[in-house]
Amino acid sequence: MKPPPFTHHACRSVEEALGLLDADPDGSKVISGGQSLVPMMNLRLASPAHLVDLNPIPGLNGIDVGRGTLTLGATARQHAVERSADVTAAAPLLTAALAHVGHPQIRNRGTVVGSICHADPAAEMPAVFLTLGGEVTAQSAAGTRSIAAEDFFDSYLTTALEPNEIATAVTFNTPNGSSGWHFEEVTRRHGDFAIIGVVALLTLADGRISDARLTIFGGAATPVRLPAVEQLLVGVAAGDVDADLLAQAAREASAALRPGDDIHASGDYRRHVAGVLTARGIRTSLERASARA
Amino acid sequence: MSETIIESHLAIRKDKWIGKPTKRVEDPRYLTGTARYVADLELPRMLHAVYVRSPHPHARILSVDTSVLPGLGKSVWVFTGQDLRDVPPLIDHVALDNLLRTPQNVIAIDKVRFVGDAVAVVVAGDRYAAEDAAEQLSAAVEYEVLPPVPSVEAANAPGAALLFDDLGTNEIYRQTEKHGDTEKAFAAADRVFTTRFHHNRYGAAPMETRGVLANYERSEQQLTVWSSTQMPHFLRSVIAGQLGLPEHRVRVIAPEVGGGFGQKMCTSPEEIAIPFIALQLGRPVKWIEDRHEHLLAATQAKEEFINLEVAVSNEGKLLGVRGEFIGDGGGYSFNTESALIEPALAAKSFPGPYRIEAFDEEVAASLTNKSPVAAYRGVGWTAANTVREIMIDEIARELGIDPVEIRRRNMLRSDELPYRSVTGQLYDSGSYLESLELAMKTVDYDAFRTMQERLREQGRYLGLGISSYVEQTAWGSDSSAQAGTPLPSHDNSTVTVDPSGTVTVAVSTSCHGQGHETSYAQIAADGLGVDMADVKVVFGDTLTSPYGLGTYASRSAVIGGATVARASADVREQILKVAANMLEANPDDLVIEDGTISVAGTPSVSKTLAEVAYAAYWDSEVRSDEPMLTSTRFYDPPATYANGCVVVLAEVDADTGVVTLDRIVAIEDCGTVINPMIVEAQVQGAIVQGIGGALFEQFVYGDDGQPLTTTYMDYLIPTSTDVPPIEVLSLESPSPFSIGGIKGMGEGGQIAAPAAVANAVADALAPFGARVRKLPLAPDYVLRLMGKIGSPNG
Repeated sequence: MKPPPFTHHACRSVEEALGLLDADPDGSKVISGGQSLVPMMNLRLASPAHLVDLNPIPGLNGIDVGRGTLTLGATARQHAVERSADVTAAAPLLTAALAHVGHPQIRNRGTVVGSICHADPAAEMPAVFLTLGGEVTAQSAAGTRSIAAEDFFDSYLTTALEPNEIATAVTFNTPNGSSGWHFEEVTRRHGDFAIIGVVALLTLADGRISDARLTIFGGAATPVRLPAVEQLLVGVAAGDVDADLLAQAAREASAALRPGDDIHASGDYRRHVAGVLTARGIRTSLERASARA
Repeated sequence: MSETIIESHLAIRKDKWIGKPTKRVEDPRYLTGTARYVADLELPRMLHAVYVRSPHPHARILSVDTSVLPGLGKSVWVFTGQDLRDVPPLIDHVALDNLLRTPQNVIAIDKVRFVGDAVAVVVAGDRYAAEDAAEQLSAAVEYEVLPPVPSVEAANAPGAALLFDDLGTNEIYRQTEKHGDTEKAFAAADRVFTTRFHHNRYGAAPMETRGVLANYERSEQQLTVWSSTQMPHFLRSVIAGQLGLPEHRVRVIAPEVGGGFGQKMCTSPEEIAIPFIALQLGRPVKWIEDRHEHLLAATQAKEEFINLEVAVSNEGKLLGVRGEFIGDGGGYSFNTESALIEPALAAKSFPGPYRIEAFDEEVAASLTNKSPVAAYRGVGWTAANTVREIMIDEIARELGIDPVEIRRRNMLRSDELPYRSVTGQLYDSGSYLESLELAMKTVDYDAFRTMQERLREQGRYLGLGISSYVEQTAWGSDSSAQAGTPLPSHDNSTVTVDPSGTVTVAVSTSCHGQGHETSYAQIAADGLGVDMADVKVVFGDTLTSPYGLGTYASRSAVIGGATVARASADVREQILKVAANMLEANPDDLVIEDGTISVAGTPSVSKTLAEVAYAAYWDSEVRSDEPMLTSTRFYDPPATYANGCVVVLAEVDADTGVVTLDRIVAIEDCGTVINPMIVEAQVQGAIVQGIGGALFEQFVYGDDGQPLTTTYMDYLIPTSTDVPPIEVLSLESPSPFSIGGIKGMGEGGQIAAPAAVANAVADALAPFGARVRKLPLAPDYVLRLMGKIGSPNG
């Protein structure tokens, strides 16, 4: 449980970090909260020669609520985001989901951006990002680009980020006033990664569902949106969402997934409960949206 | 409850301290981080050891190429099984002729038998360098991979690979024993119920992992071994024997030990290998097990298969039982108690608090390519209690009898005790029915049933699970014989009053978190008539404590407590004798209270204990023939049996299968209580571990023999958010057999809680006909029990 030798670089600027990364993209890892990377290094599952530490860089821990957006800097701690009243007002879904990320000790150090870049398919933050939509600001020595949420997650622990790029910020789209949300996950214990989870966001316009965004996490190699379920819902009057429709949505959700077995649950379980959670997600989101409308 | 008469020769002085919930004197150092564990110890020139462990469940070691390591013999040293070939292998101590033996080399020589089996030890100047070298060496070990034997079923399949070729079989034991007339019982039965139950493999996971520091002082020819052990004296004897050293040249110190739960009772191979290496290198060598390593290489526990046939009458009376108990022993039948530790103890304890007068037991154990099974809190008893209590609930449900009522009809009444169970266990005293009734009253059973009915109509599934238990304690010669694994023993304590009048109590029953410093001080304070603050309890160092077997199997309160009481009584007499000389009075007329000796009824004629102690040592006019105020006393008690009842209230989410525990009530009867606060905490801690076994914990191995639970993200122990409020209520049925009426305790919660949780879930899901056949009750399994996905055997 001791890592192999590495060089730690306490960076003072993004440029310095980018220069180090560019010099040895494959031998370097960016570290911010370190809540996933350090255990992997201790288990010798990851052995970067260089740790490019973003923590000392001034101004990278921003929590900025804009018009319809929320932008979090790479070193903004999960705890700080969770406790921000501005975040709760703009994206209560994010606040609620953060309570399920590990334990307070982990959130004191872990970052939202880091969790998204780590891209564990059973983690909460990638699923919230995919549901809300938005973009990752990816910087490299060559310049800066934006990667949309729907293009970001490639596979298990793999994203569209290049080895020489740093995600310096993540911008979430924040929902408007007539939307409702639901976050729920099944875990063996509080704070664990999800066996299966759902993030739902429904928007109402004139009493009908104008936008539906549902994401299942823990059921595939990345968090996945459920287009079939979303199509089922868009245009439906809130009052017409009945038990039959919810059951159909649940079936569609289960049918969209081919999850595998692991020691915590079978693929059958994940498929079944993905449907259960999808129905709950729709019901609760609608209740919340209707209450605000 | 009737007062149990304790015969006078068994009486102990119980005054201001025994029975008082005094705060634990050891807690300040635990809570302020000033306690010092093996990992905290530093010696000059100390080296750090790291193990290279097998990545294969079953393989032959062909070669270990140490030449890949730069600095070999200068800054890095390697020891393989070949280097330790002269160290005798570890073998279990169980005195049964038909038990096959599986000698375990402390580092594997020819074969490895589980993932984590020791292949080599790498030693370097610091832990980082040692781990770097170990990683390099791991890649330089050549194996011939052998077919894995991942389960009991695989072990006994035709053509199965053999773990020990010379044994000719993987099944190292099978024996049938009949108690009472089961033929008659089954002939008379109205119904026969059967079950095949798989009890999960889980383990201790103490906060402190294992660790050993060894140092050989050539000038003094003295080997000192610091180990996180529960049995320092026993370990000293084993180390001396294994390494061929005179025992008086070996000193074992168990410094602060951060939990053991039975896992640190057996001799770990590392406890022999590390001292050997320190002797070879002539420098101190420290090995601290890391948590990943702990999940691979430390002993595991509790896995067994129990197949039952239960003969009952239509009224729910248990007439007779046939039980097969099959242990999954892992790669070696581990030293001290062998692979029978689970199945044999389960079989003998099966009747529990019930009147079962006919019982056939068949006990078997097989080797598999998994980490060896050894002791863990509630050894064997957990599995037996789990399957018995689940079965009783199922029988009640089938016969339409209330689960409380069926227990009432079969339970032994306190006025029937002492009672010898059909398996030969002599229950001394207890409150089996009273515990059940008190638990039901506390949870307001009838109100719960009404609420359960109402909420079920709303689609909410609440359940209540009962688990009654008898806990065998006072593990000395008698108790171990009654358990079916005879191991003669005795333990000792020395009580000494020094010239200033303060008291040192040296005990052989070592402590690893149980609060012995407090409990023993309470007994000594009452025994001597002094303030608890004037008593210091020492243990865990073979140089300063008298010989004994240490702490395991709920033995310390009974055995250690009695030795302290007896030695204190002796010293009290010595004090009174000197005081009588000083006060010119008859010793029989003197009393000691709050550290002052006075003539009864005439408090003005008095001396302080400090004055008397000073005189005892320094004043040749008044001192005794043997001036030292000290006594060493032994005890080897008759078996005592604690008892109780755990009730769990739970709710099941019928859509996700998630089980939420709402409330737990535990009744504990451990005879005379020394410190109620410690008893309560022991019950709570044990229940938490039982919750782990019921809902979360299982060492999972793939069909290829690879362990799949190698971090605490996969091996799930309950955290504070998973544990509901636990109310502990006490009943007190002193033992008529033991000194002071004290019984052991501390395992009952772990013995009883899994069944209480399982029964709560089965009760909640009664409309679905759920029958629990294995643990843990993960959400996936719960949905299977309800028929919502797949099959329960999936």
